[in-house]
Amino acid sequence: MSRFKRLRGGRLQATLDPAEVDLLRALPKELRGLYEADDEDDPVHERLFPRAYLDPTQEEAEAEWQALVHPELLRERMDALELIATSLERGTEHRSKIRVELSEDESQAWLGVLNDARLALGTRLGVAEDTDYTRLDPEDPDAATYAAYVWLTELQGDLVETLMG
Amino acid sequence: MIPAGVVSGSSAPVEVPVEVGEPETFDVTLSDKPWIVIVWNDPVNLIVYVCYVLQKLFGYGRTKAMRLTMQVHNEGKAVVSSGTREKAEADVSRLHAHGLWATMEHPS
Repeated sequence: MSRFKRLRGGRLQATLDPAEVDLLRALPKELRGLYEADDEDDPVHERLFPRAYLDPTQEEAEAEWQALVHPELLRERMDALELIATSLERGTEHRSKIRVELSEDESQAWLGVLNDARLALGTRLGVAEDTDYTRLDPEDPDAATYAAYVWLTELQGDLVETLMG
Repeated sequence: MIPAGVVSGSSAPVEVPVEVGEPETFDVTLSDKPWIVIVWNDPVNLIVYVCYVLQKLFGYGRTKAMRLTMQVHNEGKAVVSSGTREKAEADVSRLHAHGLWATMEHPS
């Protein structure tokens, strides 16, 4: 059963467990810190703001492009965090779940935030494509982080499938 | 006025100023191959998400977007668009904004 349902006019309806809403509410603060960290040696930062040119003879073009584009990419991401936070505040109780209606812009913001959260967690955890999450050791100190990553993956997959129609 | 670049046929390169109707900058070289934009595989991005982004950003149909996505997944990378340096930079920016790992290069 998908957590998302298409409504008229390009809007979406999200139906989530309260625990899921709590997790989503926590994302903006975490991601804001990562976006603003500006630590070029951090693999998470490198993954969120990668290079455009791999060719070492294009360093000048790379620097010019970063200077031009990074502020805009940062601003768009901050705006998305704002959108997900404000949309969650509109949630209403529906049976034992929380229900939120999303505009097209908000759905896109959710999609971006979910993907960024997965990029950040996935990079930190060092996930590989063939990582088997069902065989994780509950005693593993990363167990809770893995669980969050798996859940975010499910949620994002759900959202993309709904958006694709 | 914008220099048109190298005029072929002369023994030494000559820059010829040319007046154009609208302001535009472009790289014109004798071998004017377009820049290509490459999306690289990574272990985090969902196949369905990459497909969705390619459809959204480039207007590709589901079949073409899925073919490119599977090429990224199976071969490690795929060329998703090409054009002027300016267009390639814009495409890379949009792809990065959606969390895809993309780079651009000028094939020699």
